[in-house]
Amino acid sequence: MEQSQLMQYLPVLMLIVVAIGFAAGTLTISVFLGQSAKRTKAKDMAYECGANPIGENTPRFSIKFHLVAMLFILFDIEVVFLYPWAVVYRDMLADHATRNLILGSMISFMFILFAGYLYALKKKAFDWKN
Amino acid sequence: MTLEVCVMALGVVLMLADFWLPADRKKFAGYAAVAALAGLLFLSFGGCGCCSLSGTAFNGMFVEDGLAVFFKRFFLIAAILVLFMAVEFSDRIAGGVSEYYSLIVFALSGMLFAASANDFTMLFVSIELITITFYILTSFQRGRLVSLEAGVKYLILGALSSSFLVFGIALVWGTTGKLNFNELAAVAAQFESNKIFLIGVLFILVGLGFKIAAFPFQIWAPDVYQGAPTPTTAFLAVGSKAAGFVLLLRVLFTAVPTVTAHWANLLIVISGITILYGNLCALPQRNLKRLLGYSSIAHAGYLLLGVAALSTSGQSALLYYLAGYLFTVCAAFTVICLVTRHLDNDDLSALAGLNRRSPLLAATMTLAMVSLAGIPPLAGFFGKFLLLKSVLEQGAANPGYYCLAFTALAGVVISFYYYFGVIRAIYWSKAAADVSPISLSGPIKVALWICIAGMFWLGLFPSKALNLATEAASVFAK
Repeated sequence: MEQSQLMQYLPVLMLIVVAIGFAAGTLTISVFLGQSAKRTKAKDMAYECGANPIGENTPRFSIKFHLVAMLFILFDIEVVFLYPWAVVYRDMLADHATRNLILGSMISFMFILFAGYLYALKKKAFDWKN
Repeated sequence: MTLEVCVMALGVVLMLADFWLPADRKKFAGYAAVAALAGLLFLSFGGCGCCSLSGTAFNGMFVEDGLAVFFKRFFLIAAILVLFMAVEFSDRIAGGVSEYYSLIVFALSGMLFAASANDFTMLFVSIELITITFYILTSFQRGRLVSLEAGVKYLILGALSSSFLVFGIALVWGTTGKLNFNELAAVAAQFESNKIFLIGVLFILVGLGFKIAAFPFQIWAPDVYQGAPTPTTAFLAVGSKAAGFVLLLRVLFTAVPTVTAHWANLLIVISGITILYGNLCALPQRNLKRLLGYSSIAHAGYLLLGVAALSTSGQSALLYYLAGYLFTVCAAFTVICLVTRHLDNDDLSALAGLNRRSPLLAATMTLAMVSLAGIPPLAGFFGKFLLLKSVLEQGAANPGYYCLAFTALAGVVISFYYYFGVIRAIYWSKAAADVSPISLSGPIKVALWICIAGMFWLGLFPSKALNLATEAASVFAK
């Protein structure tokens, strides 16, 4: 392989070095800093995203988490559409053909989303009490 | 575009109306939706800008032509009949009947977009709008295991077919750089020998073949038809299938006509096997909805005759046949919905003594079966006749068409057995366990009479509908 082609992989190599350095660095620092702190049982447990790492492997948890996750995705997608819209907004406003279209299309999109939000609200999807 | 916007808005209103309507008034939401759609249908005939015969939107992604208008009216009628059915079915739906109505309307808007799709992006988005709505509609009876099973099967196989579709679109775009059907047609001839392009087109056909339940992508149909709530099954059999066909027609004859011309033999084989498979598998069925599921596979085969003929007469015959199929299938499923409403099984035996319980229902079911079988005075006969004629016209060029016509005839003969099995179960079964009369509400009688009138009108006075179909199919002749 030519020298120049290998050179293209230099950033990848650098990334690997940085990644190893970061992992090793945090572990080393936590050894030194961790010893000075107070130890509790919970702190000594293996970290598993907040769940208890020891127990049955299919724990039951509230369906609400799924609901929130789905709603999050739905309303997150809204932002995905808003960004490119905001980027081209000025240009499309200047263009005579699309001037009247650009704001209306986003408003109607937001209206449909808002109807969905209203629906979720009325169905008590955000209510954690019951 | 106005039509689609109105339908979308109707769906949103129906969904939100749920919160302000008292529980005993929910039925009226369904009738209100029927009235609104009927109004839109009426406007489309009045030519009030809702359904103009020409024009494009979204840079040519959305096209409004004769074919689109034909299918839009078709989908509106289908949704109206299905909503009538859904109102009758509402006491069987536990969770939120308003959502059920609004999901039907959302699926309808997807079909309307499909009718106008002139771009692979639009094709994919409209198909997904239909399919994702149907995932929910299929599993709407959350308490019934069969409904959930149907939903999961439809979800998994639907996702698989969507992935084929989107992969195919990616390959076509990767080789040609075009997504618009007209632009693609202009360059498709250069790519005829490009294997990657051809595989892409083939994958798109796989995705659409799933929608129309053609062999070998028909596996899901019987299970889903059986398990889904009856109005959903009817909409799946009519609306979803027709949406598949309009997209298939557009892809084959607008986007890649030069490729299609070489694929006559492939289409002949698929059509023939689909007819035989559907009819032979329907023979031993005892469950009504499953029987109609297999019968709908067979009908996808008949409809594919019109595609395989590669001629304008074939396409117009297909459109005419779909119109007849709409009224026939809606009639059959409305009867099934009413008869099995209070029973847990939907076996053939549930029909026993139906002529004494409700003569109108018995007569409707009989007419529907006769029409599906293709006996002269009704819509089904004339449609099959036109399809066979269009295939035989092509026989001189390719002897395969004679084989196909023979296969189709054999399929029709086989189908007599099971369609008349249904009629026999109504009139001549011995043990009628339940002879209590079935009371019909006013609106559902209207729906039944619409179906009957549609079957007779298309069968006895075909010229008007055939003119509409020919006009719609003429978009491919240009």
